[in-house]
Amino acid sequence: MRLTNLAEGAMMAMDAIRSQKLRSALTILGIIIGVATVMSMASIVQGIRGQIFNTLEVVGPTTFRILRFFSSTPLNPDALPREVRIRPVLRAEEAEAIARLPEIHYSAIWVGVFERLEYEGSRTQPTVVYGADERFMEILGGGITAGRVFTSPEARSGAPVVIIEEEAVANIFGQINPLGRTMRIAGRPFRVVGVYRKPENIFQPPGQEISAIVPFETAKRAFRYDETNSLIILVKPREGVTVARAMDATTVQLRRMRSLRPGDPNTFDMITSDQILDVFNRLTGVFFLVMIVLSSVALMVGGIGVMAIMLVSVTSRTREIGVRKALGATRREILWQFLIEAATLTLVGGAIGIVVGLTAGEVLKRLLGFETGVPVWSAVTATAVSVGIGLAFGLLPASRAARLDPIEALRYE
Amino acid sequence: MAEQPLISLRGLTREYRMDAETVYALRGIELAIGTNEYVAIMGPSGSGKSTLMNVIGCLDTPTRGEYWLNGTEVSRMSDDELARVRNREIGFVFQTFNLLPRATALHNVELPLIYAGTSARERRRAASRALERVGLADRMHHRPNELSGGQRQRVAIARALVNDPSILLADEPTGNLDSVTSQEIMAVFGELHTQGQTVLMVTHEADIAAHAHRVVTLLDGVVHSDSVREAA
Repeated sequence: MRLTNLAEGAMMAMDAIRSQKLRSALTILGIIIGVATVMSMASIVQGIRGQIFNTLEVVGPTTFRILRFFSSTPLNPDALPREVRIRPVLRAEEAEAIARLPEIHYSAIWVGVFERLEYEGSRTQPTVVYGADERFMEILGGGITAGRVFTSPEARSGAPVVIIEEEAVANIFGQINPLGRTMRIAGRPFRVVGVYRKPENIFQPPGQEISAIVPFETAKRAFRYDETNSLIILVKPREGVTVARAMDATTVQLRRMRSLRPGDPNTFDMITSDQILDVFNRLTGVFFLVMIVLSSVALMVGGIGVMAIMLVSVTSRTREIGVRKALGATRREILWQFLIEAATLTLVGGAIGIVVGLTAGEVLKRLLGFETGVPVWSAVTATAVSVGIGLAFGLLPASRAARLDPIEALRYE
Repeated sequence: MAEQPLISLRGLTREYRMDAETVYALRGIELAIGTNEYVAIMGPSGSGKSTLMNVIGCLDTPTRGEYWLNGTEVSRMSDDELARVRNREIGFVFQTFNLLPRATALHNVELPLIYAGTSARERRRAASRALERVGLADRMHHRPNELSGGQRQRVAIARALVNDPSILLADEPTGNLDSVTSQEIMAVFGELHTQGQTVLMVTHEADIAAHAHRVVTLLDGVVHSDSVREAA
């Protein structure tokens, strides 16, 4: 009984939509906009999340980092708060001491700077250049496609050697073989010793693609850098060692080196991949909340539109309701038919909104160069929400229809 | 009519309260109609024939008195119970046809079966058969605006018949039709009556009423005359 009724309601709705195309389109516009907004945002956030998870997979979710001070936004190096200023700057010796711990597989100090790469007149935009050690691929993944990584003596002595990332090579060298050639970073000469290829799917914020790696010592002498935001010690525990144990051992080692007494607070911050993800989640959470509030407004407006149109529809079909009642429809059946009609209307709006939102999200992701991912949960939620809106805002018109007196309704002109 | 009649009205009264005034539409109707009768209800406007039609059609309930339909008292039923009775026992034919404009003839005829909870396949079968009975087998997929007035009324008759109702209730069925088409429609009613269908028709036209075998005339809410005649 309910099933035939459902089909009849859906058919009525499709009829109504077909016969009033423009009116229906305007009615569901609010729903389309609301759903599309949520969907495009969801698909972008999902895409970014997917990238971050992939990166963590590549780098290894156990890697953690030590910073002078951790905050979700970079600090102004010229106006550091006191609690930061009293902390010592990270040193290469500290990274080396941590690396000697039995729990630790890899530990090194890195510096990240923004500089332009130059070769005979071709120049890139400022891009990320890392000062690291010869084992940087422990953290970044990827591989060397031509040439070699720098040697330990080169790294220790601060030799002016550089490994260039493939895309950057294509940008400034074109078809020329870069190996052995001298190019400039921040105006200083570097000899190219290797070509680096990034791993697939590694997430980098737009404009922050790694384009070159030089020895840490070299970077320290050649570039100006910010001691608070740019210096970082990357630590990877040995296999079989838990992150917590490795972090404990590292903390003990650092505290000893910095002569901290028991009860003194740490003068460094240590963050795990999970914490980075947490920060990201918090940021996207706020972003999401704002989007949901905004699109809720659109959905409310859409819902009110649906209600208004359904009221008009009930009035203009008073006679039809009378006929249906005369033929044996109960109040409940009339109520459900109009509820289903409203829900079908919003469902169509929701479906269009999902398609529009996904398309927009996909286009944005392509533009920003992310890997794409379809957020199934948000499509399901959007569908449910649009049906829910139809049912909620259809209730008043539907119950008005259900309450009509058949004799009056049949007499209605 | 030795057995229980199909329709039995006892002291049926229907009054409307309008502000302080009470308007009596029906004031004590006594009427019994048996199975396979063909009855015309006549009377000038305001005589109460529309109200009587609504009560017999279970669209309205009497203020006082009893209405027994097929052995059940329907005069005290709730709205939803009445809807079920209308669905099973009554087939309505209206003066203005009252077809759903956007639905095909077939779908219009299927409507009562939808509310009866019949399966889609069975609905289609029964609706096609009903349309064949009224001679519209070749117009099943036409919409009302593609049909003539007489064809529309035939669709409406098919819709009234599809649930195999106890009574076919026609309210001025030829009021919107020309005289030739009216005769055609009356022939359909005559045929259905011959096949055993009980027909109850409200009309104010004497020549239409002449098709019935029994004419009941209302005046001021009471039965004024009730005459049975042989053959039509």
